Amino acid sequence: MVTNGGDPLRFSTGDGIDILASKEKFINYRFKAVRSPSVPNFHEGNYKNLNSSEPILASPIAAQPNYESDRDTENLVLNSEHDGTNSLIDLYRDEIVHENKDSNDSEEGEIFTRKEEEIENSSEVEQAFSGSPSKLVSVMDNAEHFDRYGFRKQNNFITEGVYNKWWEGYSQYCIRRKHKWVMLLEKSGLSVDNDMPTRFPPRSEKLKRYVRKGIPAEWRGNAWWYFVRGQEKLNKNKDVYEKLLVKMGDLNDEQQRKKLIDLDVIERDLNRTFPDNIHFQKEQFQNKEPPMIQSLRRVLVAFSLYNPKIGYCQSMNFLAGLLLLFMDEERAFWMLVIITSRYLPGVHNVNLEGVNIDQGVLMLCIKEYLPEIWEYIYPKQKLENQHKHDSLNISTEVLKNEFLFKLPPLTLCTASWFMSCFIGIIPIETTLRIWDCLFYEESHFLFKASLAIFKLCEQDIIKDKPLHKTLGQYTLPNSNRTSRYSRLSQDDYDMEIFQIIQSFPKRIIDPNDIFEKIIFKKRIALNRLDQQEIDRCRKYVSNQRLKYKNYKDLIGDQESLKKTTNRMNNNINIINNNNITRESNNNNNSNNNNNNTSSAAESLMKEINMTNDLMNDTLSSEVYGFKKGLSSVHWNNSIKERVKQMRRKREKDYQT
Amino acid sequence: MSRPNKSLTKYKIVFLGEQGVGKTSLITRFMYDTFDDHYQATIGIDFLSKTMYLDDKTIRLQLWDTAGQERFRSLIPSYIRDSRVAIVVYDITKKKSFDCIDKWIEDVKNERGEDNVILCVVGNKSDLTDERQVSTEDGEKKAKELGAKIFMETSTKAGYNVKNLFKKIAKSLPEFQNSESTPLDETENSDNTKKTGIIDITTNDELQQSSCQC
Repeated sequence: MVTNGGDPLRFSTGDGIDILASKEKFINYRFKAVRSPSVPNFHEGNYKNLNSSEPILASPIAAQPNYESDRDTENLVLNSEHDGTNSLIDLYRDEIVHENKDSNDSEEGEIFTRKEEEIENSSEVEQAFSGSPSKLVSVMDNAEHFDRYGFRKQNNFITEGVYNKWWEGYSQYCIRRKHKWVMLLEKSGLSVDNDMPTRFPPRSEKLKRYVRKGIPAEWRGNAWWYFVRGQEKLNKNKDVYEKLLVKMGDLNDEQQRKKLIDLDVIERDLNRTFPDNIHFQKEQFQNKEPPMIQSLRRVLVAFSLYNPKIGYCQSMNFLAGLLLLFMDEERAFWMLVIITSRYLPGVHNVNLEGVNIDQGVLMLCIKEYLPEIWEYIYPKQKLENQHKHDSLNISTEVLKNEFLFKLPPLTLCTASWFMSCFIGIIPIETTLRIWDCLFYEESHFLFKASLAIFKLCEQDIIKDKPLHKTLGQYTLPNSNRTSRYSRLSQDDYDMEIFQIIQSFPKRIIDPNDIFEKIIFKKRIALNRLDQQEIDRCRKYVSNQRLKYKNYKDLIGDQESLKKTTNRMNNNINIINNNNITRESNNNNNSNNNNNNTSSAAESLMKEINMTNDLMNDTLSSEVYGFKKGLSSVHWNNSIKERVKQMRRKREKDYQT
Repeated sequence: MSRPNKSLTKYKIVFLGEQGVGKTSLITRFMYDTFDDHYQATIGIDFLSKTMYLDDKTIRLQLWDTAGQERFRSLIPSYIRDSRVAIVVYDITKKKSFDCIDKWIEDVKNERGEDNVILCVVGNKSDLTDERQVSTEDGEKKAKELGAKIFMETSTKAGYNVKNLFKKIAKSLPEFQNSESTPLDETENSDNTKKTGIIDITTNDELQQSSCQC
């Protein structure tokens, strides 16, 4: 990116298109079009950007009236002419020079250029931090406790020691991978552009493999943006974000604010987003809100204004928060738009139906690809018991699918996997690897990753229970599974599985546990899953759930309908018998009048018939068939045929 | 999971209430006796279980921590359905969170029926006296109106009344109903909270409800 000496802000997009933005409008936007400077030197390991008292963020502060300060003359400095490896640091220096004339600050900026070992040299650190030594040194003391994105290394599941030991190896892996990426880009004739490539090679199996092995951390923002075709979206919606911010600034009117419940909800989540990440924390001895929190607020509020259908849904704070670690606000905003529409349709909507659909799809996938686990999640015994108790005499076909409507308990755990795309569920490096693939391979990868996690803890689910549980008589070694199920309450099972599924992922510190052990193994069935399958599956589950909902409503209604019709029939009789008066014993129907009573009864009868039709419709629902590998049978043509036949028949019935 | 829970009676406790009132914090205080200024927002539902020893008895509590945002209410019912205890939490510094407890309690009653569940109303953040928007009396009154068996104000930050709350809940479980003869011995409790929220639990719950929170 080239700076254009103060004139209209020009920056190069991922597609190599230059965008002109009028200076008035973007007056103090400093797009971190390439990468957030707040994410320093990813390959070096420890987090080092701990000393900027004025964190270097490209945050439009449009919502605040007093922002038009000394930044007006600022240019977009999106890239610099310095050479490769330390370009990030150069970016820093540029920004700092532009932003702060304070020499201390630029000195601090230089710190980032130092290698880790240098920083460890305390005298040098003292010297470098002479600007405000006490504070900086104290922060530096802490630095080792945070990872390269600013997250605390240690949590309830992973100790710092474990983290460091793993990181020793993984950081080497990252460097190796990055080297490969550089070569790939060069080979493809693309510029690595001061370690901030904005364009990537065309889609290919090779690129997919590269992405699966991890995009270099400092390229991620750009790569994600490129793969989701973010610039296309942005170009179609020029100025939209900025206008939203203006709108947001106008929200001072108390009444207007009240209308937006989301504002309050967002506000309360801001400080509950990554409280363990340096960028989201208040600096020591300062009460000022971290710029990252301000950016987060703007992105979330802007989104809720942009898409009132979703508004704000908890978990989006994490999505936006993570995006902000890798890209500027405007891009983060559009990425959020893309994630919530393209990859997780309906998931964050007010009724959360998208969550239920995806959980239904996940259950179908487990049933298909991990039948051993499925047996534990949804034992046959349960199904059979239900049949016995079911007075409604529903065909087995439907009940086979009942888990799509009455989702197994563990889906409330897995629901959060999808809502936050694994943020907070899996350690961050692993999450980011999944994000890489999500943006390259689309939403089916979330399902694939979920299945991979289930696969990884298969042993825990199967072995740890009920065989090894001290449930005495319940674990007769010779008993088959079915009888164990019958004796162990399903509830106990559900709890156990829930707990495993909840805590196991938190320990997957090494991304390659998922990738090398599962995703790269072609023989593992779940790797057959592709986007087409998921799209089809989502449609299917969505339809099934809709049908079931109608069916439930109608079943519920039918009872009352029957009662009403009976009552009405009584009414009619009474009316017939006694032409004069409407006053009868039927207090409930005292409002009815003669004329419409009979017609209402008629229409009710019709409705009941319709109910039956609809019920039949649901009952005859087909079971989902997964596409099989080429070697085996192609999916379900017989069922397709059957469905067609049924449809034809039904149409005939309706006509007659 | 690791410990055998043979013969332990298990009780499901579900935590409900507006977002940010301190459900996770309440659970963390109870489980680990720690407090953080900021917990991550809970998405979906979290599950924890804890064994509790009381009066020579051991029970297993299964705690279900839920997301507070309105729209998550539609996902939660199945967890309410077989809960023995429902703890509805509000924030004494946020009137709105107090107004919301009706909805949550209604949800519980719809799923569970009024008699099958021990309803608790908890006003959290009682350390923030300067910012208080809901008086103890109002809290108590509403809890009674809504048919809650237990009302308490807690401060998870100060560790105030949290143990009491769980003791009290435990005491009202069937496990403790029959053999119960001695009132809860508060001297064992380190909460230093003599003056509020301490109730003698006797076998007769009904009479005691009204006297909670002096």
